[in-house]
Parts: sequence; structure tokens; C-alpha cells
Amino acid sequence: MAAHEILTATNAVVTLDVGLPGIVWPWLVTVNMWAKSIGTGVIFMLFLLLRMHPESGNKLRLMTSISAFVFINIFLLFTLADLHQPFRMWHIFVYSNFMSAIAVGSFMASAFLGLLSYLVFLAYMKKNDIFDKVLLWTTILAIPVTLYTAALMAQCTAREMWQMPTESAQMVLAALLSGSAFMILVAGKKLSYEAKSMLGAVLGLSALMAFIIYMSELVFGPMKAEEVAYVMEYIKGDGEYASMFWVGQTMAYILPMFLVIVSRITKSESILALGAILAIVGLWIVKHVWLIIPQLLPMS
Amino acid sequence: MQLGFLVDLHLCMGCKGCEIACKVENEVPLSTWRLRVKYVDVGTFPETKRTFTPLRCNHCENAPCERICPVSALHYLDNGIVNIDKERCIGCAGCVMACPYGAIYIDPQTQTADKCTYCAHRIASSMMPACVVACPVQANIFGDLDDPKSNISKYIMKNQANVQVRKPEKGTNPHHFYVGGGNVNLNPLASFRPEGHSLFGKLTSKMPVGGH
Repeated sequence: MAAHEILTATNAVVTLDVGLPGIVWPWLVTVNMWAKSIGTGVIFMLFLLLRMHPESGNKLRLMTSISAFVFINIFLLFTLADLHQPFRMWHIFVYSNFMSAIAVGSFMASAFLGLLSYLVFLAYMKKNDIFDKVLLWTTILAIPVTLYTAALMAQCTAREMWQMPTESAQMVLAALLSGSAFMILVAGKKLSYEAKSMLGAVLGLSALMAFIIYMSELVFGPMKAEEVAYVMEYIKGDGEYASMFWVGQTMAYILPMFLVIVSRITKSESILALGAILAIVGLWIVKHVWLIIPQLLPMS
Repeated sequence: MQLGFLVDLHLCMGCKGCEIACKVENEVPLSTWRLRVKYVDVGTFPETKRTFTPLRCNHCENAPCERICPVSALHYLDNGIVNIDKERCIGCAGCVMACPYGAIYIDPQTQTADKCTYCAHRIASSMMPACVVACPVQANIFGDLDDPKSNISKYIMKNQANVQVRKPEKGTNPHHFYVGGGNVNLNPLASFRPEGHSLFGKLTSKMPVGGH
């Protein structure tokens, strides 16, 4: 029998207990995930551009490497800032528990940062042949780096909503969405119309896929587990986070999809740029809502 | 040796003696709890009943907190206790997020994770956990689950049909059992939780992180 059915029958009320705790992983963790998506996403996009539109990709090696370097450092900085004992960060590398996604992710992110630093150096020195070889390995490593947060969330046994295979897909889609949006905005005139058009297609399609998955979670998630149903109430109807959830979905996915289509019809680059801005800002909101609501679930 | 706990909810009268003994023994800071007794009222007047449920770390055989801890600050002792090394903890709060029982909190004084250790320091000196000693009705039964002659093993055998653990669907295999519990006691979603009945519920600053 489901808890809500028992609740109706028993009218059980907690009459004395300790206060419920606040949010454990706050907005710092949202920034962590958001920055990591951009940092890995731009590497995916550079790899794609160098193969499909080398005339544009050739001009973007240094800019992209620096952008990825900066955003991965933001990701690491906010990870550090979220620790209650930040000066013990080094413990991860000395007392590593390799069953923990946090430990494995830290090693991978560090290696990724090392490769990015090397890429910046190679791009600055204009050693394009070596750059492209290192970029291949960096792109391969960017996949687990962007995925490890899904593994970490899956290890949070208390938050059933995160323990879904779709989280992995969402992490990759977030990287594709934010990476393509960032490149559209920052690369500017260095991109040919065809290259921008391809990035627009990546942006629109990743927005579509991510939106479909979120809507599926919203509809099918509650059928899976009682705890998921409880958490979903926060984003349904007049739930506490419903407005924020829909603002995020609209900004990150619905409007960019629409604007990508309009930009292709009108050949307007400014409309595409608007879609890119909305996607990057909206992604932060979407990630934040998804991070916060499972933490509102009473545990005991 | 696999140490475990069993609480006979038929016996518990909600005196909170275990709560206080734990606080004193382990110097648990204000507004944080390793063990607390939750009161849930059931029914509609005049057919009402008050239930008392002591809640603490379940020392799971398959502990999510041990798995997620990046530095193995949460680790198993040979006797099955999930212990914590506060000197090693980096305060990432992954364990707080992973524990399905809300048993772990961030100690506001040390800024590290903390939780019930079954009084591992007392066990090492062949003493019982403080909460067991304090209980006036022997509702807390503690012992070796591997020893069929221990009190806890005998209690489990005697009450086989009525022994429960919290959230068995999580696959954590808790070493903490309840006799006489029901969904109302053990499932936090099976009771209303109105504002105004919480100890320290009105704290607005320096709220502890996790552990409820």
C-alpha cells in the first residue's frame, strides 16, 4: 500500500521531531555542473568543427582551449568552495576511494585540466598537428568527465530521482547544448554561415532531446517510485519550484528550439545568438531545480 | 562479528533518555543529533495513539555513505560498524546526500560529517552503547548478529514475523531492526509533517547541514 493511502487512513501526524535540514548541496553545485557542461561542450564542438568545417575550426583552437580551461577551472573552484573543509581537498588524491564517483571524477577532471593546459600551450605556439592529436584524446576524456556527475548522483541512494540512466543522457546533452551555444556566441565572425548553421542544429536537437527526457521524467517518473512522485510535486501544479522549472524549460529548450528554426528560415544570426544566450542561462535554472527538489524529501 | 541494533517499539515510551545519553556521551553539538526519538500521532480523536521511534544510523551492510565517500573517511570496522574518521573527512557532504535514512549531518563545530557510530569507542572498551545503558525499559537491544546465542539474535528469532528494517527497497541491508513498527513509524512519507512541532524548528541561522 502506498504511503499516501496509509496517510489518509491513519491521519498520522509528526507531533515532535527535530527540524528538517536545509539544502545540503546549494547553488555552488549548480554552477559546478553548469561550468563543467560548457568546459567539456566547447571541446566537443571544436572537435566537430575541425572535422566538418575546418575553415572555421582552424581559427578557433586558441580561443576554444582558453574557454574550456577557464570553465573547467570555474567548475573546480566551485567544487572546492562547496567543501566544508576545502583545505583537505588533497585527501582525495592521497586517501582515494575508487568506488566513489567523486574520487574518480576528481582524477579525471585533473587529467582533463592538464590536457587543456597543454592544448592552450600548443594553440599559442601554433603547433596545429600536435594540437589536433591531443584534442582527440581530450575529446575522448571529456566524455567521462561530463558523465561522472551522473555517476555521482546515481550513488546518492537517498535521492531516487537522480538514480536514473537518463541522467547520463542529460549530462551529455547539457554539454552539447551549452557548448554549441557558447561557440555561436563567442566565435562570432570567425564562423562561416554553414558552421554556425551546424552549431545551431546541434543546439536545437540537443534542446529537443533534453526537453523530451525532462517531460518523460515528469510524466513517467512518478509511476516508478513513491519518492519520485513526492519530489515531482514540487514542480507540478502550484508546487514551490514549478515556476522556476517551467521558466528553465522555456529558456533552455523551448525558445532555443523555436529560435533555431526561425534563424534557419530567416538566415538571421542575431536570432540564433539570442537562442544561444537563452540556452546557456536557462540551463543553469534547469540544473538548479533538478539539484534542489530531491533535497526537499524528508528522509526519516 | 557483525554488531547490530534492534528496537522493540512495543517497549519504547518516548522518554528520550537515549537521545540525551547519546548527546552527552558523544558531545553532539546543539541542533544536531546522532539519535533522536520521533513522535507520530495516529488516528482521529478519540481513537488516537502516539508512537515513538528512535532513529539512528543503520550501519548498513551495503552502505551508500561508505561507497560515495571519496576519501574513505566513512569506513567499516571489523565488527560491522560504519565508523567515521573526522580528521580525514573533507566535508563534501556526499554521504549526507547518499544516506537514505538522513542519519548523517555536518558537525557545525568541526565542519565534517558525523553520525552514530554505535559508540564504537565504548564497544572497544567492552561497554554497551550509551543509549542502551540509558534505556529504562530495555527497548534497545544490541549485540552480535553472527552469534546465535546473543540477545539480539534470539530476539530476532523470537519475533521473526514482526522484524522490520527501514526502506528495505534501497538494498542497503541495515544492521538495525525494529520490532512492532509499521509504515507510520518507519516511512517518513506516511505521516503529515505540519510546522510547529519541531525541536529547534525556528532556528534561522547556523542551521545544521543534513541529519534529520
